[in-house]
Amino acid sequence: MIDSLYGAADWSAITPLVIVAVTALVVLLMDLLLGKRVGRYGAIILGSLGLILAGVVAAGGYGLHQTLFGGAFVLDGFTVLFEEVVIIGALGSLVLFGAIGREDRVAGATALLLWSATGAMLLAGAGTLLTIFLGIELLSLALYCLCGLAPRATAREAALKYLLLSSTASGFLLYGMALLFGATGSVTLSAFAAPMLAASPLFWAGIAFFFVGIAFKLSLVPFHTWAPDVFQGAPLPVTAFMSVVTKAGVLAVLARVAYSALPPQAASALLLPLWVVAGISMVVGNVGMLAQTDLKRLIGYSGVAQVGYILVALAGTTAFGLRAAIYYLFAYTLMNLGAFAVAAVLSGDGEEGTQLAGYRGLGHRRPLLAAAMTFFLLALAGLPPTAGFLGKILILSAGVASGYLWLDALLIIGTAISLYGYAKVIGAMYARDEHRSPTTPRPVVPLAWASIALCALALLLLTFHPFASSVLP
Amino acid sequence: MNPYGPVAIYLAVALAAALLFTVLPGLLGRAKPNAQKLEAYECGVEPTSAVAGRFPVRFYLVAMLFVIFDVEAASFFPWAVEMHALRFFGLAEMVAFVIVLAIGYAYVWKRGGLEWK
Repeated sequence: MIDSLYGAADWSAITPLVIVAVTALVVLLMDLLLGKRVGRYGAIILGSLGLILAGVVAAGGYGLHQTLFGGAFVLDGFTVLFEEVVIIGALGSLVLFGAIGREDRVAGATALLLWSATGAMLLAGAGTLLTIFLGIELLSLALYCLCGLAPRATAREAALKYLLLSSTASGFLLYGMALLFGATGSVTLSAFAAPMLAASPLFWAGIAFFFVGIAFKLSLVPFHTWAPDVFQGAPLPVTAFMSVVTKAGVLAVLARVAYSALPPQAASALLLPLWVVAGISMVVGNVGMLAQTDLKRLIGYSGVAQVGYILVALAGTTAFGLRAAIYYLFAYTLMNLGAFAVAAVLSGDGEEGTQLAGYRGLGHRRPLLAAAMTFFLLALAGLPPTAGFLGKILILSAGVASGYLWLDALLIIGTAISLYGYAKVIGAMYARDEHRSPTTPRPVVPLAWASIALCALALLLLTFHPFASSVLP
Repeated sequence: MNPYGPVAIYLAVALAAALLFTVLPGLLGRAKPNAQKLEAYECGVEPTSAVAGRFPVRFYLVAMLFVIFDVEAASFFPWAVEMHALRFFGLAEMVAFVIVLAIGYAYVWKRGGLEWK
């Protein structure tokens, strides 16, 4: 009976998640048994191997279309692509621990990071409200601890702020879920597409609360104020992780709901507030970015706008829009990870190299590093020859095709504003300044350098090789 | 009746009762305060110090660990009741759960979380 409830297909679908979760346990056990002998790189290398293995196994599921665990988990091209984004994001932030953080804490941080990534991977394939909530909580609970890992007051502030605000958002999400269950009598997302629900006020209220929770987790305006503070306070690798993995996981949920879990005749009306919020985010995020003096805060604000761009692609809920969104998400992941890797190379023992004042004259002191940073910032701004440019073209054409011209207009305005913010940093790096370089040259940071090189290469390759097909949820 | 009817009735009764208990005493009762009546009630003993004192943060750690393991132990009960119906699947799930729990316990122990220094 129950023995045969779940078959081999069910278990093989969640194998990537199991691999990541078990790797975290092994890292923790190794730290416990071997203690100091494992060291910084032992944990990072083991964690990376687990993530790579999970990535390879997950890729094997591409092209399948299965509903597993009684609808709780859906395995399709969409799931696999989001899982890969999460894995890349986790990998790119994990290696930054090679340059930052107290050595005896790296193993614990690695384990927490991997568990958080497991939550995000669960979100990629979540097919019921319960799996969505489980994934979001797994993702967030580990992050609360990770945010407070750095030994400074801002880190503690970040952890507390994130805990309180994110729990509030979870409350909204849960309330929305309860109302949705009340309206439909089901927790399965596919049941929400029933046409008769369009007339149910309970369903409308449920979706509204659900989207408020989601918008908070995505840090969309007006639920974005936590993001810059938390990003600034958290340790650099954790900031990199949050800016990529959290957004990817929650975007997967949002896209799945928007595409396949709303009654067709009411879908565009239900989703409209979300697109309005995305439009505001693109402007407010980029304006907020202009005044920042810290790279992490800058990325925090730019992330607000970048999620807005991705939502523009989703606005028409067309197949092409979803492809554009996933393409841009991949590009966004790589540019963010690259920029954070540059900051990791510039970090000293005690402090992180995120103060933008420290980047002044970098082009003369460390030309290669400055060139890499310029490349990533150009990608964030969406200029050729980077994947950011092609991604924006794809998003704009998706917007045109689905008739959301006002969103396209806001995207262009937002991009124009953001150009100034990114160009200011690039300009400062190449300013011929008096040589008051405060940063001492650091010993080689191999993992961060490898990450920079890989991100830059991948961003270039993506430009000439836009991918992603058959990704509908 | 609408399935939400009982919820609405429950809400109405709760609201009415709460209003009744807070409003009626003010209307009907007579206020005759004296020093004894206004004193903070603490088991009949005079309060000796400020309530918000300082105490070691270690209490939080112990309390938190207790709650975590307590809640995890509580999830054994449903399984134990339905053990025969769940058969091997249930047993395997529980073994996996216990392994994860044990690693967490070992971690806390080895890292000195259970010591009172």
